Amino acid sequence: MKRFECLQAIAPLIKDELFVTTAGGATNEWNAVRPSDGNIQVKTLGLCSSIGLGLAIGLPKRKVFVFDGDGALWMNLGSLATIGLHQPKNLIHILWDNKQYESSGGEPTVATAGTIDFAGIAKSAGIKNSRAVGTVDELKDAVSFALNNDGPHFIAANIEAGRAEVPPLKYDELENKYHFIRYVEDTEGKSILRLPQSASYLLK
Amino acid sequence: MGTIAGAQNILAGLKNSGIDLIASVPDINMLQLLNLLYEDKDIAHVPVGREEEGIGVCTGAHLAGKFPAMLMQNGGLLNSANGLTTTALQFGIPVVLMIYYAGDIGDNAFHMVGLVTEPVLQGLGIKYIVMRDPAKVQQDIAGAVTLANSSKRPVALLLTRAVL
Repeated sequence: MKRFECLQAIAPLIKDELFVTTAGGATNEWNAVRPSDGNIQVKTLGLCSSIGLGLAIGLPKRKVFVFDGDGALWMNLGSLATIGLHQPKNLIHILWDNKQYESSGGEPTVATAGTIDFAGIAKSAGIKNSRAVGTVDELKDAVSFALNNDGPHFIAANIEAGRAEVPPLKYDELENKYHFIRYVEDTEGKSILRLPQSASYLLK
Repeated sequence: MGTIAGAQNILAGLKNSGIDLIASVPDINMLQLLNLLYEDKDIAHVPVGREEEGIGVCTGAHLAGKFPAMLMQNGGLLNSANGLTTTALQFGIPVVLMIYYAGDIGDNAFHMVGLVTEPVLQGLGIKYIVMRDPAKVQQDIAGAVTLANSSKRPVALLLTRAVL
């Protein structure tokens, strides 16, 4: 299965969940399929799972999706142990495993040889709801389950390599951040960007 | 190991400044502070396995509306340099870096890490205070939090044994 058809299949299941998406094709494709200020891009390879964990801990009543890649997860495999330790009930971590560094030109990753079992590693790290999926229907079932049951959840999706033809991102990282924070402020009813009052207003 | 009084002083400074989430990787010199954090009910404590993970956790926490800090040794600052650059600095994330200054003058371990710590912070463009005076701990923490929030950048506090 291709990543793009997977994204199209799960988009109808999504309401106001937040998405942290790894550097690479998953970000562009997801923003084409489901444009939203609730999507935040990631620029540091591997850090999406850790950012997602911090977001999930900070907003325990909000579902948080992480879109990871096999090269990215290899770089921060320890994050699975940390997620297993903290057990965020609202975290849904999806690995798009295309068995290559797609954004770097297709070099092999740890997954290319076919010996690694990411879902098994996640389960052993304490992420009980962990499974591998190989068809679009299995993926939809796994996402539906994750949306309706406490996590943390880990879903390793075995996909074909290749990117869909989609437009470039609308926002750079800074504009993306501001839109994302304002979206969280509006939907959570809280103030995050607390700008200080200018000193002149404090004069008596 | 640090002293209980030093740890209490730092924790009070963090709370008074509004810090409500701390990611950490331990160091022996911050043992008392970490012991307090494990017991504390007001600050969410998120132990991580490697410091760059902590920068990610603090970034996510900020996006969720928390005031985060990262507690680590200066070796961990080196581990987290890419996350600091391409996430915290590039996205403009306020996070207070509470860094034990191993290899500082008077310390007997990790002299190479101590040697490069301040040049690395300068190279990253991260402003910092070397904390040597216990009487100024509260003021230093409050200043770092204010600048982190107003500049939307990481700000570092280098903790020496004198304040721990």
